[in-house]
Amino acid sequence: MLSRRNVFLAGVLVMALLPSFANPYALFIGTMLSTYVILALGLNLLVGYAGQLAFANAAMYGIGAYTCGLLQVKLGVSYWLALPAGALVAMAIGSVMAFPALRLSGLYLALATLAFAQFTQWVFLNWESVTFGAGGFKVPEVSFAWAGIASSTGVFYLALILAALLYVVAGNVVRSPLGRAFVAIRDGEVAAESLGVDLLRYKAIAFAMSGFYAGIAGGLYCAAINFVAPEGYDLFQMVLHKAMVVVGGIGSVAGSVVGATLLVALLELLREFKSTQEIAFGALLLAFVIFMPDGVVSLLKKRLKGWDEPLRRIGDEPAVAAPLAEPAEEAARP
Amino acid sequence: MLGYLLFSGVTTGALYALVALGIVVVFKATAIVNFAHGELFMIGGFLAYTLHVMLGLPYVPSLALAVACTFLVGMATDRIAFRPLMKSNMVALVLATVGFSFVLKGIGRSIWGGRGDYLPFPPLVGFDPIILPGDIVIVPQQLVVLIGALAVMVVFAAFFRLTRIGRMMQATADNPKAATLVGIRTDRIYMMTFAVGGAVAAAAAALMAPLTLLYPDIGFSLFIKGFAAAVLGGLASLPGAVIGGIGVGVIEALAGGYIHTSFLDVSAFVVIMAVLVLKPTGLLGGARLRRV
Amino acid sequence: MTATRLGFALLLGVAVSAPAIAQAPGVTKDTIKIGSFGPLTGPSYLYGKLVMNGIDVVFDEVNAAGGVHGRKLVLVREDDKCNAEGGIAAVKKLIHQEQVFLIHGGGCSNAAIAARDEVEKAKTPWVVFAAVADSVSAPVAPNIYTTALYASLESVAQLQFALDKGAKKIAIVSMRDAWGRQRYEPMVAAVKAKGITLVADEELTPDANDATPQALKLKAAGADAVLMVLYPKPAAVFLRDAWKLGYKPILVGQTAISDPAAFEEQVAVPGATVNFSTISMVKYVPDDPAVEKWRKLVEAKFPGDRLSTFNLFGVGSAKVVVEALKKAGPELTQARFLKALGELENFDAEMFGAPITCKTPDHRCNKAPAWLKKDPGGPTKVLGVTKVAM
Repeated sequence: MLSRRNVFLAGVLVMALLPSFANPYALFIGTMLSTYVILALGLNLLVGYAGQLAFANAAMYGIGAYTCGLLQVKLGVSYWLALPAGALVAMAIGSVMAFPALRLSGLYLALATLAFAQFTQWVFLNWESVTFGAGGFKVPEVSFAWAGIASSTGVFYLALILAALLYVVAGNVVRSPLGRAFVAIRDGEVAAESLGVDLLRYKAIAFAMSGFYAGIAGGLYCAAINFVAPEGYDLFQMVLHKAMVVVGGIGSVAGSVVGATLLVALLELLREFKSTQEIAFGALLLAFVIFMPDGVVSLLKKRLKGWDEPLRRIGDEPAVAAPLAEPAEEAARP
Repeated sequence: MLGYLLFSGVTTGALYALVALGIVVVFKATAIVNFAHGELFMIGGFLAYTLHVMLGLPYVPSLALAVACTFLVGMATDRIAFRPLMKSNMVALVLATVGFSFVLKGIGRSIWGGRGDYLPFPPLVGFDPIILPGDIVIVPQQLVVLIGALAVMVVFAAFFRLTRIGRMMQATADNPKAATLVGIRTDRIYMMTFAVGGAVAAAAAALMAPLTLLYPDIGFSLFIKGFAAAVLGGLASLPGAVIGGIGVGVIEALAGGYIHTSFLDVSAFVVIMAVLVLKPTGLLGGARLRRV
Repeated sequence: MTATRLGFALLLGVAVSAPAIAQAPGVTKDTIKIGSFGPLTGPSYLYGKLVMNGIDVVFDEVNAAGGVHGRKLVLVREDDKCNAEGGIAAVKKLIHQEQVFLIHGGGCSNAAIAARDEVEKAKTPWVVFAAVADSVSAPVAPNIYTTALYASLESVAQLQFALDKGAKKIAIVSMRDAWGRQRYEPMVAAVKAKGITLVADEELTPDANDATPQALKLKAAGADAVLMVLYPKPAAVFLRDAWKLGYKPILVGQTAISDPAAFEEQVAVPGATVNFSTISMVKYVPDDPAVEKWRKLVEAKFPGDRLSTFNLFGVGSAKVVVEALKKAGPELTQARFLKALGELENFDAEMFGAPITCKTPDHRCNKAPAWLKKDPGGPTKVLGVTKVAM
């Protein structure tokens, strides 16, 4: 009854009906929710399935938003072209990071991608002739007059449709040979190579996909707030994306959706804490990560039917081995 | 001009080196980077401020007490953010330390944030500038920081190489299972490591605070530079941390002086990216091992 | 109320909008709900949280005396995290969900600029309390007023001050983030308008720990006055490094460094601040006996805090809002409030350099930058209030 399919369909239904009874603020949160789902899906493909500890997702998000916004504002391109253009640019830049990813792994890759993200922020801030610099710039509202609805409602539905589509795509990728190649790379690069998996090609695809997803999210964000400025794509955003993936379930497509939803709800709840938001956010993040390191989805998989996913062995090798050897557990592992 | 820039690069680099040392000490024993290290630094600094400036205790006891308290906070980091997640994936661990860093930062802001924007901290020695040959001027506290960084490096190098506990830490980092087999209490070792990392952070804060001023967000920006410095030098190398720190400082100063001041902030990262692509394990890091 | 919020959050934002009271949302028989947004967390929390603390203290005093026409003032705070999305979300929440009567807020410029469209559309009255960017209050909107000084005013005042002191070679050291840019651009425009060429134009980041390259360049260019568009920390670092190099120009600050006594402590080099003067939005520094009353109130309500200039911004601004509410009369509507605010002339809000006049076409109520200077080891003096021809 409470299977994944039913729960998600119900969720989509509620979202589809939202504009008819919710106030503009709730609608805005709903649009952001779809955007975050897309971000989490893309990141999970890269970090959860392909095992690349990359910290550049927020920068890709920013590249997508800036490209989409700048094309509209500087070249007068229509939003419907600017949105995919932004995604393609983010995809291209994202795939370039496959090269360092060939030589680096773990913390070193994390730092390299982090450095790249800082560099991107710096470009947003300082390449004033193109990006308008620190003050950011306004982007005109996307007109949905042809459908007879307000802009914010239109963007809400666009985001919802894209999120649903990209969810299906991610699910299919994971079930395909591409997904299996990702997991092979995650679980053992050398073994994967020896089985004929071309590391460069598949890593590039993984980075490109997550870049594309983040780029689409960036374009949606640009339409949702009609403003593009450098601060929205910083390290806190990156932490937020990672948190969505880990809280939901790393290496699980459904987990991305669950994680994004939970985090958005959490952030709204945290507003009540006013100045102690940081403490509350940190504490909750800690709690989730400690008590459910494999994500909420792992709990759902144990308790409810219909939440299984292919390639369900979640997580890398333990980052640090346990202090005491536990032979019984070793034998029980599949 | 070059002389001035080099000198300022070295003195700023010493700041980064002190932070990097704390990161490397923890990494050497646990193989992870503590993303809450910057906040340990911040808490240590604020504690020293409370004891020395607000309560009026003399400098040395304040420093000692602040270091002791942050030692305990470091232990707390181990128990709360590290121990429960040792068996989990790397992202979860990173996120746990990040979450803990938010908690610490929020606490710092709640307790001390309303006292002013950037809190001054009295230096160990007066601020009258010293004039060195070649017309280069420095403020004595910068020398203190430089000497402090070198002292910490030497002490820890000796500690890791010569003492029993130091060698136990190295053994644990190298192969935790084997370490357990020979009877090393690895859980205690981890706790000690984080605690020591915290203590180093507090000491660094007390030394650096007169120059950097104290504010709740100081942790993060220093952490990023310190992390970059540690990676530049080689994450598991103590001398690497110092060299990396000074390297980052000098690169920034030169880029800021010769290219344009807007490049100051980002030049370090560009260089890091280059180094990582060419020599992933850092300047002083060992050969690249691939775990099969 | 937290349970209600929890329910909202878990149902993915399913919130039924209450029927809006067309002219007077947020007003009941005995309360007026006032919304405030600004940074409560993050490095810029000074411009949000501390200002709101000042407002709280004024509201408490007014409420203790019975409120405004029998209605108590309730302040609702929202965090905008100092970025565009935060500003828009905070404002949407205040207007559509909390349904506040008016908004008294805006600490970070980018957040305020991004939020502007939303507030304009909703026609909710908005009094800006700390954001200085020109584009927050321009172009003029019927429902937006500001009690903060604004970037172009301050930048022109800084230039004017340097010229009045006889400087011939002007240089700028600035932060190029959103805040800095808002001031840097009008400053450069003002310099050009006067036909002056800058001898040096350097950049410094907010968390810089070393400013030697910048100080070297300025010294080499021979600048005799440096206009600083910097927060206290980079400014302190710059002063220190300039002093080290034996470089002692006229140093001109702005409202981010409104407390010369605290600044002197931050620089920590004896005598380095001898040539430093700065602008303040309020004409008192925290340790001035004239504001002892507010010190007691703030430190009592927020234990552990020390009175800061940012609290005083809030105090002054809140007094303006309360005055307008009083003048709007007991039959309170947003239109009446805006009318009363727009007619405010020469109102003494105790804190500002000159009496507040909102009855001006540009809706900028405070155009009186107060110049402060502290002789090392001496008291802080108010040098005067500049009248800038804008």
